Amino acid sequence: MPKVTIDGNVIEYEGREKLLQLCLDDGVELPHFCYHPSMSVPANCRQCLVEVGMPVKNRETGALEVDENGDPVIRFFPKLQTGCSMDVSDGMVVKTHRTSDLVKRAQKDNLEFLLVNHPLDCPICDQAGHCPLQIQAYKYGPEGSRFEFRKVKKPKRVKLGPRVMLDAERCINCTRCVRFTDEISKSHQLTIIARGVKNYPMTPPGMEFDDPYSMNTTDICPVGALTPANTRFQARQWEMAPTPSITTTNAKGANCFYWTRDNLIMKITPRQNLQVNEYWLPDEDRLVLDQFNNNRPEGPQVRADGGLQASTWDAATAAAADLLDAVDGSEILFVGSAYATVEDNYLLTKLASALGAATPVYLSHVETGHGDDWLRTDDRTPNTQGCERLGLTRTDAATLQAQLEEGAIKLVYVLEDDLVASGLAAGALDGVSVILHHYNTTNATLPAADVALPAAMVVETVGTFVSEDGHAQRVRPAKAIKGINRTLMMETGKSRTDMHGTPFDRWHNESHQVDCQPSWETLPAIAALLGHPMSYKGPKQIMAEVAANHDAFAGATYDAMGLEGVRLEEIGEAV
Amino acid sequence: MEATNPTSKAGDWRNYKRVLLPPVKDLHQLEVYEDNGGYKALRDVLSGDKWDPQSVTAEVKKSNLRGRGGACFPTGLKWTFMPPVDPDVPRFLCCNGDESEPGTFKDRQLMEYNPHLLFEGILIANYAMTIKTCYLYVRGEYAQWIEQMEAELEKLYKKGYVGENIMGTGFSTDIVIHKGAGAYICGEETSLMESLEGKRAYPRIKPPFPAQKGIWGYPTTINNVETLACVPLIINNGADWYSGIGAEKHPGPVLYGISGHVNKPGVYEYPSGMLITDLIYEVAGGMRGGKKLKAVVPGGSSVPIMKADMIDGVTMDVDTIREAGSMMGTAGMLVMDEDTDMVSFLRRITHFYHHESCGQCTPCREGTGWLENLVTRIDRGEGNLRDLDLLIDLCDQMEGRTVCALADAAAWPVRWTVTRFREEFEAKCKPAVFPTGDGATEAAVPAT
Repeated sequence: MPKVTIDGNVIEYEGREKLLQLCLDDGVELPHFCYHPSMSVPANCRQCLVEVGMPVKNRETGALEVDENGDPVIRFFPKLQTGCSMDVSDGMVVKTHRTSDLVKRAQKDNLEFLLVNHPLDCPICDQAGHCPLQIQAYKYGPEGSRFEFRKVKKPKRVKLGPRVMLDAERCINCTRCVRFTDEISKSHQLTIIARGVKNYPMTPPGMEFDDPYSMNTTDICPVGALTPANTRFQARQWEMAPTPSITTTNAKGANCFYWTRDNLIMKITPRQNLQVNEYWLPDEDRLVLDQFNNNRPEGPQVRADGGLQASTWDAATAAAADLLDAVDGSEILFVGSAYATVEDNYLLTKLASALGAATPVYLSHVETGHGDDWLRTDDRTPNTQGCERLGLTRTDAATLQAQLEEGAIKLVYVLEDDLVASGLAAGALDGVSVILHHYNTTNATLPAADVALPAAMVVETVGTFVSEDGHAQRVRPAKAIKGINRTLMMETGKSRTDMHGTPFDRWHNESHQVDCQPSWETLPAIAALLGHPMSYKGPKQIMAEVAANHDAFAGATYDAMGLEGVRLEEIGEAV
Repeated sequence: MEATNPTSKAGDWRNYKRVLLPPVKDLHQLEVYEDNGGYKALRDVLSGDKWDPQSVTAEVKKSNLRGRGGACFPTGLKWTFMPPVDPDVPRFLCCNGDESEPGTFKDRQLMEYNPHLLFEGILIANYAMTIKTCYLYVRGEYAQWIEQMEAELEKLYKKGYVGENIMGTGFSTDIVIHKGAGAYICGEETSLMESLEGKRAYPRIKPPFPAQKGIWGYPTTINNVETLACVPLIINNGADWYSGIGAEKHPGPVLYGISGHVNKPGVYEYPSGMLITDLIYEVAGGMRGGKKLKAVVPGGSSVPIMKADMIDGVTMDVDTIREAGSMMGTAGMLVMDEDTDMVSFLRRITHFYHHESCGQCTPCREGTGWLENLVTRIDRGEGNLRDLDLLIDLCDQMEGRTVCALADAAAWPVRWTVTRFREEFEAKCKPAVFPTGDGATEAAVPAT
């Protein structure tokens, strides 16, 4: 295999590669700003300059020339070369800042230049704490600046589009955002305007930056120039705890981090998974903070005296068990959910079969025309594939309504869905008992419920979702719920202060904890009361059972899924 | 000041007969140009057996014609960089008429007074490299001559000298005139291509070079206006005739654009290898008001400035002038007399590069502005002596670290003006102060 020598270490590589990428893959850190692995290479930040040399070949014989020690003679390029644009070739010798004072000096010089017109408003900048410019300036930059003049004035608060704000003074003109709209999202909505030191990105006249993927530019911006309009100035980076999970806005299963502070979801950012969403996340996936934080139920409720009354978990599960016990299995309609995890739906099917009820159905939430051929799908639920693979029967509101009007159904058990909002006439549930696992108090089926059992949402539970492409992925709890559950506690993402702070300054505290329960805890509790014990230690064990019993989930154990998920075998046509 | 070492390489330049800009009235009109033997070279090349593409290229190579855009790269060699002809792959010639280096105004004369020589050169070059399209990228401010050239080009199309089946020989090629929008950076060959493609004129990384990946990713050769205008002359008179003009290693007629404090500024056509002293004192009529010469910038504003005592015996050809400590550049010569304030001069130059930096690369974008800030401060008398070292330091930080050569072009004038006229800069700076024992400060005594 061809080899390159970087700072004296020999590295083997295959195929065509850029030097910077090779260094990054090999764990050799090289400072850089404009380079992004999925986009073209403009080499404009000039930060990754390195010394590059090639072995000298004899012009006539083509043999490598050697010096008196028998080592190949290396001729270095007269100028420093940018690693990002340099194709590696066999025998190349590279000196980075670790071995070359020239490179060290060049990196320092470049950072001095970058900071000349940068406002240095880190104390109020959302990017501070995870800012490549800040980090690299501390690490490789000069101790101070020799610049003694007025900095260039540029627009500070530009609303580029509905979701992205620009602070042009912070911009270092890496053009990542422009290249993103040109090469990745192909909306061509950004360009660099003006010239020289007055440069900054802007939309063409009369156009607004409403690309459905616009907020990705705020992630790839190496400074705080582009910030998300919905979360700017809300929380400092180091106050929040990131939890690796996936988004549930659609059936793509895009990987993300949920950032939490005080048990509130503060922002959602993409997490790299080259099999699913690469580095990106659609805007719609990030704008769902509200449903996690607001209108959450305060504990279970049971119908009494003509209205829903607050109850305790024990009383509510007992009430649900009583309702289920009062009717024959054939009179119960179990409604699973494509919003719920595989584990929850699996337990529901187990309960249904234990009670002798029909296989649960699930409502499909397809919005034709919503998807594109990238990260948005027509299906607005995260787990349609999971339901299909579990053998749940797909249905729609009209069919459900017809079924209920026949009158044979006496009890409807709804797992984490909203029948009324999905099109079922509210009157159809009159005279029918309803047990409801719900996320939000805005659930339109709630007024018809006899027992309402708040369910943990994706940001509070552990579970598995299967994407449209058959990719099974785990979710992890990003915030704590009121109930104490060891599994959840062990998996919750932690912030720096959670991990390293004192007990007195932990941000991860008891405020904003929702009184809800994961359905995989509620369902076994009800089942146990009905004489059908389901003894599971946790969702890991449930999923292991699913993987063992269903061919469609073969291999999808928690250990196998890890952070990047598992691609399941194809099954027949779904959705 | 007369040259004490008059070893001009231009031969008998006083009797030189102009060939690029011959003294013919209305030569810009096709009829007049043809009456004076125009398009003979093209006709010879296209018809008859004497020429084929290879032999035209070989002739240009043999003539030792060097590019006139500033880098003085051998033109024939550049043409051979084009990949072998593939009928499925378009290839382009691009003629760079985006003349915007301060002190350079020679291409304008050609486009104004002898555009057909340029067209003929383009057509021959297209034939030599089997190219179907040439883009003539002209500086937008030359609107008047663009209109004139467009009218003349129209005549050529009507006459069948450009377009399909030229002169009935089966060779077809087009010329497209493109008007620039007024940025210095568009004169850089790769950003010129970006600009032609309708994009923002950010220079491209090389390699790939234009001959591999040029306009729209296809093989492209880029030549200066004056370079291409020399091609018909070489075909008509032979490579030996051409290489016999002027300096041996850098032959041919050169359009010297002389500006500044001389009695007769203007564009003068003479052989290469002219003594700088001859150009100033003979050709341009000497220094204005009989003043003493102070400095010369021999090839457009970005080349290193030369002090008056450096030009003795220096001739205008690439090697000699490099040895003397400057560069040939575009042969646009800025002449300054003894009254010139070098700090003020440099302030104007740095302002230009600050204004024209495209802003793609960090060192140039931020460095050019910083240079201007520093020089302006010194010019105002508010500078510190340490600023001079900082200026040189910034030049070190900019040179050779950017995609294109604009950072170099911006840094050289600063580096060389500050180095070669340092005492003038020091004189404008605030005097250095150092603390005395009793807590006060006093001005340092200038080092003698």
